[in-house]
Amino acid sequence: MLPTITVDHKKCLDPLNCGKCLQICPTHVLGLGTKVGPRKFKEIDKDQFIVAGVRFEKCTGCMDCVSTCPQSAIQVSF
Amino acid sequence: MCQWCEKYADGYPRWYFNPANYARKLYKIRKDEGPEIQPNPIAPGGMALEDRDFIEALDRKDHEAIAKRRHDIEQLAWTVHFGQVVTLEDTLKVIDFIYPIAVMTCACRRSMLGLPDEENFTCMGMGPGMYKWERWPNNYRGGLQFLTPDEAKDAVIKMNKRGLVQTLFTFGTPYIGGICNCDYPDCSAIRTTIDHGVQFLWKGHHVARIDNELCSGCASCIHRCQFKALSFSASQNKAYIDSFQCFGCGLCATECPQEAISLVERASLPALANVW
Repeated sequence: MLPTITVDHKKCLDPLNCGKCLQICPTHVLGLGTKVGPRKFKEIDKDQFIVAGVRFEKCTGCMDCVSTCPQSAIQVSF
Repeated sequence: MCQWCEKYADGYPRWYFNPANYARKLYKIRKDEGPEIQPNPIAPGGMALEDRDFIEALDRKDHEAIAKRRHDIEQLAWTVHFGQVVTLEDTLKVIDFIYPIAVMTCACRRSMLGLPDEENFTCMGMGPGMYKWERWPNNYRGGLQFLTPDEAKDAVIKMNKRGLVQTLFTFGTPYIGGICNCDYPDCSAIRTTIDHGVQFLWKGHHVARIDNELCSGCASCIHRCQFKALSFSASQNKAYIDSFQCFGCGLCATECPQEAISLVERASLPALANVW
């Protein structure tokens, strides 16, 4: 079963420096990237970085990302 | 036979020993890159081509949809950007004839782990493309540091010791522009290949074999495998390698205190010669 993972980008403001959810996810489901498409590797403004679900099939539903997020920006539902 | 050797070795023993494959023209000729796929900017490398629809097709075991999408992704990847596992020995040989070489940040680990640039210099770039990064540093996050051949060898040996697998990646096949130092689960290519069966990463030209007479059962090799090919046989009290799953990187062999693991040529085993 695949989860729906939503990250509220209005609350998650600095994922490039925070990254707590990326570090805690036991199966590395979440990804850090940018809103600006293929320019993701370039030296761009940190404000352009966002987190989103990528490898949904590995999500166990443990909710560690939800509880670790200091901004309560992540929601996971099945 | 390895199809990349067939096409691009040009008389050299392997395609990645052919210096011409490291010398891309400094101007760009756009290739027909096959099916158009909009990449996901949140996912690194080839994984960016696997969207939610594909993950859903895997989840509901829709084999037809999976096969179609896999075919499209692989055709694009093999034209533009894919990798092959290489042994440490072969990597060091490559470093002997390529120039220049630089260390840079790993885009996969940035995306998967959010690693800050200063902890993330595990990727190596080589060839004329490096001058582009040097000239326009804003084009590559974290920048790059040029290495002498000896420094590059040291760096690769250290990363191999740490447990990272050496892989060569194309940037516009057959132009090889990167030595990646990969591990599961944070290398996008290993994950797409192992988890999703989309072949971004080709197996290498070797296969590891265990000499059961020499294996002491110490298990010090087990953690080295990044490809789920190595396990421990409780009944035999020996390490066990699934030859069909082995990518031939040699990480297990370099860790074995008994020298019980050796690498044999993939081509020498009839049933494995075409397992890539």
